[in-house]
Amino acid sequence: MSDAEGGGRFLVTRDGQRHVRLMKGMVFTPRKFAMLVVGVVVLFMVPDIARFTPLPFGSVAQGLMFGIAAVGLNLLLRHIREVSFGHAAFFGVGAYTTGVLTTHYNVASAGVLIVVGVVMATLAAMVVGYLTLRHIGIYFALLTLAFGQLAYALAFGIDFFGGADGIAVRPHNPGRKVELLGQVFSSEVYGILIYYITVVLVLLSLLVMYRLVKSPFVRALDAIGQNRTRARFIGIPVRRYVWAAFVISGIYGGIGGSMFGLFQEYVRPERTLFMFRSGEILFMAILGGFQTLLGPLVGGVVLIFLLQTVRFYTEYFNFITGLILVLVVYFLPDGIVGSLQSGSSARLAFAQLRSEPAAFASDLGDRFRRSMSRLQHTLFGGR
Amino acid sequence: MVAILQQLLNGVWFGLVLFLIASGLTIILGILDVLNLAHGELFALGAYVSTATIGAAVGTVASPTGWGATAVVFVVMVFLGIVVAGVILAPVGAFLEAVLIRPVYDRAEEYQLLLTFGLLLMIRDVISFIWGTRSLNLPGPYAGVNELKTTELLGFGYPTYNFFTMVIVLLSFGAIVYFFNRTKTGRIVRAMAIDREMATALGVNTDRLYMLVFALGAFFAGLAGAMILPTRATNIGMGDDPLVLSFVVIVIGGLGSIRGAFVAALVVGIVSRLAIATAPAFELAAPFAIMAGVLLLKPEGLFGTWGEIE
Repeated sequence: MSDAEGGGRFLVTRDGQRHVRLMKGMVFTPRKFAMLVVGVVVLFMVPDIARFTPLPFGSVAQGLMFGIAAVGLNLLLRHIREVSFGHAAFFGVGAYTTGVLTTHYNVASAGVLIVVGVVMATLAAMVVGYLTLRHIGIYFALLTLAFGQLAYALAFGIDFFGGADGIAVRPHNPGRKVELLGQVFSSEVYGILIYYITVVLVLLSLLVMYRLVKSPFVRALDAIGQNRTRARFIGIPVRRYVWAAFVISGIYGGIGGSMFGLFQEYVRPERTLFMFRSGEILFMAILGGFQTLLGPLVGGVVLIFLLQTVRFYTEYFNFITGLILVLVVYFLPDGIVGSLQSGSSARLAFAQLRSEPAAFASDLGDRFRRSMSRLQHTLFGGR
Repeated sequence: MVAILQQLLNGVWFGLVLFLIASGLTIILGILDVLNLAHGELFALGAYVSTATIGAAVGTVASPTGWGATAVVFVVMVFLGIVVAGVILAPVGAFLEAVLIRPVYDRAEEYQLLLTFGLLLMIRDVISFIWGTRSLNLPGPYAGVNELKTTELLGFGYPTYNFFTMVIVLLSFGAIVYFFNRTKTGRIVRAMAIDREMATALGVNTDRLYMLVFALGAFFAGLAGAMILPTRATNIGMGDDPLVLSFVVIVIGGLGSIRGAFVAALVVGIVSRLAIATAPAFELAAPFAIMAGVLLLKPEGLFGTWGEIE
């Protein structure tokens, strides 16, 4: 335990400080480890907390489901630096697979539904990824948007998928419920169990992403994001890697979507496939902080919470949500999680505010005056 | 035969209105390099302003019945409503650009998307704050305009109002092309799109031109919102579909190309109206299928671009 690298199975010493080592390459400071444990425990306790407080259980669950999709999308956003505006397609394919299998083929087992849902989303991502991998920038964004809307339009227009009404995730067994381990549960228990499965899948997905981010594969993706031509010159198979990254991010969308279908027990086109869902998945990543691993997940829970909860308090919930997004753009460019990390611009500004409030205020005043004079110049010209 | 001709004319009409929306979006994208997600809400705002204006004007001047002289009065009213929508939207656009969007030009495009999406949500609630969440409908004046039979001579019936708006759109198209190709300001704007820094160095007030361009985009969005009114009632979220369809149009036409947007809008308009008549299931899917096809075969769109857009 005391010597430099070896020590115990789970406790190691690095740079003279004790660290917690969960597995090879996964080492945390004690403080981070404690936060991790608390986070996991809180995630598992959400149904219990929701029973005694007004915390909306459904919003947290849906937030996690969209959050997984955002974590997947973040692989493209953070490393290849491409904006995908059609990620709801894979979320929707996962959700619709659960609906179609239960309604048309009477599949009742949750395990089968999840696996097939993810497989279908993977296939969809392989097709879309193959067709889009040569495009960059705004063309990539708009092409993914086109495929996403194509999926939406097909689900909307074809009766097999339920059309505008959507499709129920209810097999033909007596309880009309999806079975977990061959058992039919009451609605309340069912919801909580699906939530627990979601939490487990979230943790697994994060673990995989954590390992992935530290792998040579994602280092190569970083290189591709910086300059595709150079990446190809140093021998990285750019197209194959971009394709692989796209498919992986699609798998994450499929996991989120399948769980969403099982949780809601009903799938509608505009709740899962519409382009605004794609936009929301993207904004979750940015809101939470797209330079971080956990950010998209946090952003997912926060955004769904905002979208679904604020509407109970005011008629104008869209305005509040919009205002928060605008404020995030101006004042929290690193996102929620990114701003909490040390060295972020928000932390630096806060430190300055505490140490030299006068300088901070005059700084703000300067910036305000500068933008005002620029506005005046714009409107009236001259100096 | 007449039915097909009417569908075709409907397609042309829809395509022309779509062109107006898309032209604003493509001008802003081509010159400011901002994909304005709030454009659909500017369109909706135009529709609401126009409904309010026409409603107020008709209420004070004439009752929505009768024909002949009254119809001419209605033409004036409707024209007034359309123009007011554009005129009110232009300063709204200028304000959005100068105050809210300007600070994020030098940031990554994700932030621009996030910001304009936030604006979309905010404008949507400003609309529901002013006009409420009920949908507004104003059939009277348009029926009044259509009392003027213009197509009887050709042997079939088609709403006069639609011809009226087609003329306005064609005039707008001509004005846009003239502005960018023949006027000094238009040429400066194009030069600025290619190299902003050089334009500034040559003494161009680029801040002001950016504001002008955004106001122009908002103006056309408002105009289009006013024109779509007779086919639908206004409602919250009416801007979503036009926004998405104008993405399709500007991609098919080539980002930043006005002529491309014109051709693409007509194609999308006609195809979607013919799809309604023949295969309703694919009405929504058809434009996106065309868009995906064009992007895969000819990624730069049907027409070249006049801004410098990669």
